[in-house]
Amino acid sequence: MAKEIKDTDRYDENLMDHDYDGIQELDNPPPRWIMAIFYITIAFAIIYGAYYFWLGVGDSQDAEYARKSARHDQEYQIKSVSGNELALLTDAADIAEGKAIFKDMNCFACHGTNGEGNAIGPNLIDDYWLHGCEFADVFNVIKNGEPLKGMTAFKGQLSDEKIQKVGSYIVSLKGSNPANAKAPQGDRCE
Amino acid sequence: MENQKFYYDNKIVKLFVLATIIWGVVGVIVGLLIALQLAFPVFNFDFEYTTFGRMRPLHTNAIIFAFVGNAIFAGVYYSLQKLLKARMFNDVLSKIHFWGWQLIIVLAAVTFALGISTSKEYAELEWPIDILITLVWVVFGWNMIGTIVKRRVQHIYAAIWWYLATFLGVAMLHVVNSLELPISLTKSYSIYAGAQDAVVQWWYGHNAVAFFLTTPFLGLMYYYLPKAANRPIYSYKLSIIHFWSLIFLYMWAGPHHLLYQALPDWAQALGVTFSIMLIAPSWGGMINGLLTLRGAWDRVRDNASLKFMVVAVTAYGMSTFEGPMMSLKFVNQLTHFTDWTIAHVHIAGMGWNAGLVFGMLYWMIPKLFRTKLFSEKLANLHFWIATLAILIYAIPLYWAAVTQWLMWHEYTAEGFLAYPNFLETLTQILPMYTVRIIGGTLFLIGFLIMVYNLFKTMKSGSVEDNELAEAPALVIQGRRNPLQETVHRWVERRGVRFSIWVFIVLAIGGAAEILPMIFIKSNIPTIESVLPYTPLELEGRDIYVSEGCHTCHSQVVRPFRWETDRYGEYSKIGEFVYDHPYQWGSRRTGPDLARAGYVGGPMYKNAAWHYNHFKNPQKMNEQSIMPKYDWFARKDVDLSMTPKKIRAMQILGVPYPEGYDEVAVDDYMKQAKEIVADLKKSNIDIEPTKEMVAMIAYMHKLGGDIAPLQLDEGTKEPAPQKEITLLSGVEDMGDADEVFTKICAACHGPSGKGIATFPDLTDAQWINGNSPSDVYYSIRNGNAVKGMIPYKDQLSDKQIIQLTSYILLKLNK
Repeated sequence: MAKEIKDTDRYDENLMDHDYDGIQELDNPPPRWIMAIFYITIAFAIIYGAYYFWLGVGDSQDAEYARKSARHDQEYQIKSVSGNELALLTDAADIAEGKAIFKDMNCFACHGTNGEGNAIGPNLIDDYWLHGCEFADVFNVIKNGEPLKGMTAFKGQLSDEKIQKVGSYIVSLKGSNPANAKAPQGDRCE
Repeated sequence: MENQKFYYDNKIVKLFVLATIIWGVVGVIVGLLIALQLAFPVFNFDFEYTTFGRMRPLHTNAIIFAFVGNAIFAGVYYSLQKLLKARMFNDVLSKIHFWGWQLIIVLAAVTFALGISTSKEYAELEWPIDILITLVWVVFGWNMIGTIVKRRVQHIYAAIWWYLATFLGVAMLHVVNSLELPISLTKSYSIYAGAQDAVVQWWYGHNAVAFFLTTPFLGLMYYYLPKAANRPIYSYKLSIIHFWSLIFLYMWAGPHHLLYQALPDWAQALGVTFSIMLIAPSWGGMINGLLTLRGAWDRVRDNASLKFMVVAVTAYGMSTFEGPMMSLKFVNQLTHFTDWTIAHVHIAGMGWNAGLVFGMLYWMIPKLFRTKLFSEKLANLHFWIATLAILIYAIPLYWAAVTQWLMWHEYTAEGFLAYPNFLETLTQILPMYTVRIIGGTLFLIGFLIMVYNLFKTMKSGSVEDNELAEAPALVIQGRRNPLQETVHRWVERRGVRFSIWVFIVLAIGGAAEILPMIFIKSNIPTIESVLPYTPLELEGRDIYVSEGCHTCHSQVVRPFRWETDRYGEYSKIGEFVYDHPYQWGSRRTGPDLARAGYVGGPMYKNAAWHYNHFKNPQKMNEQSIMPKYDWFARKDVDLSMTPKKIRAMQILGVPYPEGYDEVAVDDYMKQAKEIVADLKKSNIDIEPTKEMVAMIAYMHKLGGDIAPLQLDEGTKEPAPQKEITLLSGVEDMGDADEVFTKICAACHGPSGKGIATFPDLTDAQWINGNSPSDVYYSIRNGNAVKGMIPYKDQLSDKQIIQLTSYILLKLNK
């Protein structure tokens, strides 16, 4: 078989006496660089183990989360709206922004495109409210939710300022009389 | 020495070749279908049997086990006989192997479409088929080792080392991972739970990649590449080093699929380090292949077979560098759960596996059919189309992965997630999914060109079913002469001994990771408040498993702020101890559901939402790509199976009270009716036995057990507890008895013994503590997650103290 192979002079000085269905093998050593990579990765594994376990320098998964989470809180000081600031907004720009948030946050899935309500959530267009009459109550329901009734808490997704805007938009819907409005639920507010 | 005459069995090779081609086309077409489904959900056809969740396992299994599997067998049966100068050990075994394997494939296709699935990735088949696989696999191994024993060649060539590692590795992986407790012909539970199941599954899953998609292909490369190039193997020494190091190291790397998940740190570290150490052994294969082509590169230019092999080996080198990089924890947070992994496996699958199969077929079929390839031109066209297809497939997915990951963890200046609605991050990458379809279509076109070319080739020639050959008989050599023979050279002529060594080397990694997870308690820290599934939740979970929901929804929140803000508290190991099998998933095409049942968390939705969403996801989220599951509202749960399921869970160690199976259905109906009543409030009418009800119950169970309800910021800090002085007067006891009978007995039983999963108040086990103030606050504030209602608005302070006294003094003596 060896006769068939060309280029023997150039490459095949190390030909062994192995022959498997015509396949021969050369006695070349593995390239040095591949062995170097192998040893380096083994060293990496040992250092990795030492760093995280035997020397105990590296954080555990839980500690890493605690550390990064604390840094996150420091980086982003979340501004809250409270006291006198927590008032109904009537500025058209704020209401328009509130409307955009209403759409972005998928509020319409449960409360209808125009706040008419549907099988899941109550309407937002009349005088009847399930969780209190004050603007602060509306604000609170959006912020903290009514989980058992299906209302999501949006405190992790919307800033107080945005909640104030979307809340103001909702209050502005009063009397808008959209089609297919759901029957009133809750107590009447004066 | 006189030559012995014998016949090569070419017919069996031909059968496997045909099966490879046919299943390959099927597998690629199903792949194209699921790619279409992701970009255009209409391709789910609103039909239960063709949803993405059921089709995705069909695609992966068809490609891995049907296309690649048959290709391996074709390649092995052809090369093994030639390398050993012997006919296959037994023709009957060959036939059983072939037809048994095709039967398994057909059964797989049927059962997946029917929703019969264990949900364990690449091991989704149910137990009867698992047993069939075991038997057929043993037949394959028996046939192979039998042939090795009756060989006419002194030494076993490197290709066969890889074949042996394949047989032994897959046998071990398949048996250990498939240990399951059957409850009917079509349903079983994995004997492992939660984090244990995850470790076993990815020890299997990762090594299915190793021992089904890598080792057999290295074996094929060691035969077909030097044959097609007509060049000697570059380095015999490298063959030895990379063989042993690769098969040893691979078995340890499985946990890199579970980084930052609910797994002990040590197991994750093993996954990281062993993956990195795999770089050199993997590349050993690539460079031994490429350097073997020295002096033959001029032939690569115009030979499609060699070109495919070169691309295959190069793709292998790329993937085996990318894989270890993806195993570094900081890289993994990007690549895991995104399309990066999908791109990665397709570079490997379309480049390395399919590429080598194409190269092999273009070389082997003309040889087998004693003719010339019908058209070298078409083969070259196939090569360029396939190469282009891989790029058009993979690049959009890498792009999609980075895009989605950037969106997932982006914060606004105010400190909120910039894209809190998961769907936005998916909608953004749908155009890339559309481009991916072009890549898939091109790949199919190339494949079909090959099919045409190969069938034309086959027609122009014919196979000699039994090909005459001759070789001198094997003279068994005696002991090793240390001066003339290395230890390895000696082992190469001792087939059985060689196999035993391979088996030992393979077994170490799995044993070192799996056994501690099962036998060392501290690896699975339990959480007392985590309760077993109620019968209704369990049935819901089984539906979730059979529908393959995990193909799009993960159930494990990683400890990153951008995940905990989006989904809720990160997942803990102890939360999954009753999960047979675990459902963490590996890709988030939809949002994570680990905290879907955490009341007050960002993922919680009420029953009416779930009802509407299952029936028509697009109604709730216009741009959702989830298929409609409206049959959940039509189909009934088979309640006759429920007691059996409870008993099976008890055998697996889930602590249901003794005899609970007898009341399980009562409990099922009770809980189902509560959900039905809840839905009724939203004007939804449904019978309690429908699958929908069970699914809602399961959604509401997920991740809610870890902490009591926290309705607002104010209750996060535990309120200062006041000291309670128990009232033991006769009158107090009388009042309390009355209240207890009226209110509490409904759940805790008339004598406080508890009903079903509601706790017994007369024993020594307390969920929320047994000091007077613990009990007082449990009644006062309730435990909404468990179903205990707060009574502070219904009962006076005095009444609550009376009840506390009654429970502690009278009931819990």
